[in-house]
Amino acid sequence: MIYAILGLIFGVVGGILTPGFVPKIYAPYFSVALMAGLDTAFGGLRAAMEGDYDNVVFLSGFFVNIAISVFFCYAGIMMDIDFYLIVILVLGMRIFNNVAIIRRLFLKK
Amino acid sequence: MNVKNMHTRILIFLVCIILGFMISMQLKSHNQHQTIAAQRAEELTVRLKEVQADRDKLAKELDEYRAGRISGAAQKEMDDLKARAGETELEGKGIIFTLDDSKQAAKAGENKNLYIIHDEDLLRVVNELRSAGAEAISLNGQRLIGSSEIRCVGPTVLVNERRLAAPFVISAIGNPQTLESSLKLRGGVIENFKFWGIKADVVQSDKVRVPAFKGNRTFEFAKMVSEEEKKKADEQSVENNKDKKKAEEQSAENNKEKKKAEEQSAENDKDKNNKDSSSKDSGNNKDNKEAARIPKAPDNKAAADAGKEQPESQQKNAGGGAK
Repeated sequence: MIYAILGLIFGVVGGILTPGFVPKIYAPYFSVALMAGLDTAFGGLRAAMEGDYDNVVFLSGFFVNIAISVFFCYAGIMMDIDFYLIVILVLGMRIFNNVAIIRRLFLKK
Repeated sequence: MNVKNMHTRILIFLVCIILGFMISMQLKSHNQHQTIAAQRAEELTVRLKEVQADRDKLAKELDEYRAGRISGAAQKEMDDLKARAGETELEGKGIIFTLDDSKQAAKAGENKNLYIIHDEDLLRVVNELRSAGAEAISLNGQRLIGSSEIRCVGPTVLVNERRLAAPFVISAIGNPQTLESSLKLRGGVIENFKFWGIKADVVQSDKVRVPAFKGNRTFEFAKMVSEEEKKKADEQSVENNKDKKKAEEQSAENNKEKKKAEEQSAENDKDKNNKDSSSKDSGNNKDNKEAARIPKAPDNKAAADAGKEQPESQQKNAGGGAK
């Protein structure tokens, strides 16, 4: 847990210190990727609390989820359909779900 | 947390770094996009101000030019041309000529149209005035310029694409004496009008106002001849003139009589120019000519009828076409 929080802090500071920013046309991809990353992170936290955390599953889930969500977003923009909204909706629901389970597990302890 | 070994911890650490990086980047980008929009707006405002300042400056300049920075000769020439083209209201000595339809009742079997003013009558008056040196003429407030028409349209007369009806008031600026006498020639326009009972009054005035031309004048087909084309045409004509001159010189060589003849003709011209002295004479000449042309007009109605019938039939045709 400490490593995770430390990593987050380092990442945020690194992001702030990095010059430049995401161009406007890539903003939807980036936000979707961020959503997927958060989802995976919460999923991992939940798995850890449930006791069946697997490093490989977590890492592969992190990158594959990001890749798929970005691809979805890209496809949606190509087809002129706002797919990224769907991606964000689904990922958001999953995050809420995960957080709810984490909360219950936390309360049960 | 059931994290077993160092390896896993480091991986989680790295993933979280990526996550944190993405979060902060996302926030930063969001802010950046907003600031970019703001910057763009600022830039545009600055440019707008610049352009507005430019515009104001140019408008001021334009006003200055309009207000008469075109100085001296150019201005004078422009005014002169404007006055000639009928762009300005003019005032001066002249006459006011009023024409109204005849109040006489047509006799049985006579054509009523003979007692009405027609476009031809007005044209004759205008032509007479112009030949007498009128500088500006208006007909019922319509300035007559080069392109002005005077034409029958049903019961009205079309001038500058405007319908005018009797009574007609023709204002002309020029030498009042000459103008009046040109109308009052024996056998001239007024005498002709009087015969049919058409009212015709000439009033000399020191202040005759002729309004500016108000109609539309745009060239749809005519184009300005460019300078180059002009030069070409001039060169051609100059060559022709040269040939002519050579011929003339050849013929004029050894021939001094021609000079004498020219001098004589110049003297004649002088006489003509001297209007005051010769106007009466020329008037008399005109009288004689007119009298010769319409010898029996006042006496013989039938002849005059025949004379008037023709325009009337033309006019009927025109009316039918218009309807």
